[in-house]
Amino acid sequence: MMAYLQFVWAIARKDLLVEFRTHERLTAMGAFTVLVGLLFSFAIDTALVRTQDIAAALIWMTIIFGGLLGMGRTFRMEEQDGALSGILQSPIPLDALYLGKVLANFILLSMMVALVFVVFTAFFRLQFSGSVVALLGVVSLGVLGFVTLTTLFSAMASRSTMGESLLPVLVFPLLIPVVRFGTQATSRLYAGRPIAEVSGDLRLLAVFAIVFTIACAWLFRFVIEE
Amino acid sequence: MLLLRWSDGGVQSGGDVNQKQMQLGVGVLGALGVVSVLMLHWMVFFWVPTESTMGVVQRIFYIHVPAWWIAFLGFGLVALCSAVYLWLGDERLDRAAVAGAEAGMIFTTVGLLTGPLWGRVAWGTWWEWEPRLTLALILWFIYLGYFLVRKSTVNPEQGKRFAAVVGIIGVLDIPLIHISVTWFRSLHPEAVILSADNPMNLEASMGATIGVGLLAFTLIFASLFLARYLVSGYEHELDLRDAALPVEQGAEA
Amino acid sequence: MSFGLEAEGLVRTFGGLRAVSGVSFQLQPGELLTVFGPNGAGKTTLLRMLAGVMRPTSGHVRVGGESADVAGRGWRHRVGVVSHQSLLYAQLTVEENLRFYGRLFGLTDLKTRIPERLESVGLADRARTPVRDLSRGLKQRVALARALLHDPEVVLLDEPYTGLDPHASAVLRKQLSSLKDGRRTVVLVTHNLVQGLELADRVAIQVRGRFASVTDAASLGLAGLDELYHGAVQGSA
Repeated sequence: MMAYLQFVWAIARKDLLVEFRTHERLTAMGAFTVLVGLLFSFAIDTALVRTQDIAAALIWMTIIFGGLLGMGRTFRMEEQDGALSGILQSPIPLDALYLGKVLANFILLSMMVALVFVVFTAFFRLQFSGSVVALLGVVSLGVLGFVTLTTLFSAMASRSTMGESLLPVLVFPLLIPVVRFGTQATSRLYAGRPIAEVSGDLRLLAVFAIVFTIACAWLFRFVIEE
Repeated sequence: MLLLRWSDGGVQSGGDVNQKQMQLGVGVLGALGVVSVLMLHWMVFFWVPTESTMGVVQRIFYIHVPAWWIAFLGFGLVALCSAVYLWLGDERLDRAAVAGAEAGMIFTTVGLLTGPLWGRVAWGTWWEWEPRLTLALILWFIYLGYFLVRKSTVNPEQGKRFAAVVGIIGVLDIPLIHISVTWFRSLHPEAVILSADNPMNLEASMGATIGVGLLAFTLIFASLFLARYLVSGYEHELDLRDAALPVEQGAEA
Repeated sequence: MSFGLEAEGLVRTFGGLRAVSGVSFQLQPGELLTVFGPNGAGKTTLLRMLAGVMRPTSGHVRVGGESADVAGRGWRHRVGVVSHQSLLYAQLTVEENLRFYGRLFGLTDLKTRIPERLESVGLADRARTPVRDLSRGLKQRVALARALLHDPEVVLLDEPYTGLDPHASAVLRKQLSSLKDGRRTVVLVTHNLVQGLELADRVAIQVRGRFASVTDAASLGLAGLDELYHGAVQGSA
């Protein structure tokens, strides 16, 4: 068990190290977040719509699109100079490789999500009076569910001739539960509703995250194999 | 018919289930399917009484509901065959999965086209975020993904595995997507959903018509499925023939 | 006594294309086999199957008598790979790369092991250099250090000389020759007859996915190999 976790951490650590050195994905996701916030602020007529009411939708759409931008490149660094075949040749279990990638992606995407909340709160003067813990739960479970699927499919995209253009078609229909429950819970929390009203969403987000972490960890070997 | 004649060109059956029997199956099931579809249409147009509250347009249900059932059957088959394909790696399971997906996609498309036709009259709009209709649209896109990844690799075996993965993930996701779209409705009480597509409320004659519809579509599905399965088998054998460099033991070192 | 490396009836097809078509060989521990062949003969595919990175359509590989199945992970400790690609991360330093691979192989004594390996390829002073700043020749030496980090008994070399200038190839050749310590089993894949023959105990010529000819290297001069090679390639064309 310890050895297994060390494998997972070795992969995640390497991914984060490469990312913190190049800032490629973080820059792309961060710039996307701020710019989308900017575009939204021009696109929304605040005389007609209260941004507070649509905040959850804006936040989650930004997470999904911006996240896809970063997660889609998960396997890009492995393609240069054949690094991936070096990993595949090593004794590391393939599900540990997958979980390591998921862990690194989860950390990177969480950083972007934090920025999303900061930027949107500032740009749209959002008021939050609900439970911060519940919001953290909703966001981290939603992000985990998102990351499990996109990590698997970005491996698929990296091995296909269609590349990253394949990702939205594959991932968007499957992500509907995350969007649905995530947005619903977030908007209720923003509306100051009690936690009891989001516990159903939380549970379903947890089910989504758990089911796809396990399923994708198992299915990953069939995607990564040549 | 074309299929039956072409297959006489001496395709070896190998260890497969007897191909002659399967070809016969395609023909018989197809013929029965066509007969029952004709009968279904006769029943729909001339026999079954008009439903009182919804009027004539309700008759499209007899096509719509069975199409919907087959779409799910197809998806179930895809997931089942995909999972076992990944497990055992038997080519025939992949062929069965594709056959299920293609037939399933046809019927999902039928469901998607007939749903709005009914909705236009019943709801006054072409598109309504009715749960089942929404789910069908999502399913259609998952099927699309299934076919896209199949063709998106240089190495065809890899494409087959990708497709199998998509099929399995899709089916795991369906219950959650279903909950999503059902809850979705609860937020839009103005979109009143008529529960008339629940067969429980139907008169006996309507039940019978639905029954014939289910039978007809299942037969057509089975026939299409078998035909597609056979054709993939032939494609596979042609591939093998193209690659028919004899396998020789290499020189010993 | 088990063989160092054994391949039995290896076949790999890509759809209708048969890249490797029934390759079998057995190598004693300490032997070096060079596989020659023209472009597209399936040499790299063969090596990838031996490395357990690619699943054979049919056939088996055994490493030191142990079945080297693609799904198995344990036997991989016994194999190291050097490719014409460096398999390194350009953004990381030499040491970070080696530490990463060391962890993948579950090694615990990396603090002493990494400097030792770097010493042995003459790069002790480059540990903190990012790989992107290294020349092609130095990068290839890091790749060798990486492949030997876990002290594998089987070493697979896929066109290791590609892109190296004459001096860098000479240095690499010297280091590769140190692999011949009587214990390690080595398979070298190349289309360069001179470099391939130098170190070989046995020579195989792969044409169109098959071994067209397998001979002892000792009895075969360069001229003999040249004749054999062109004969094999033309014979199957």
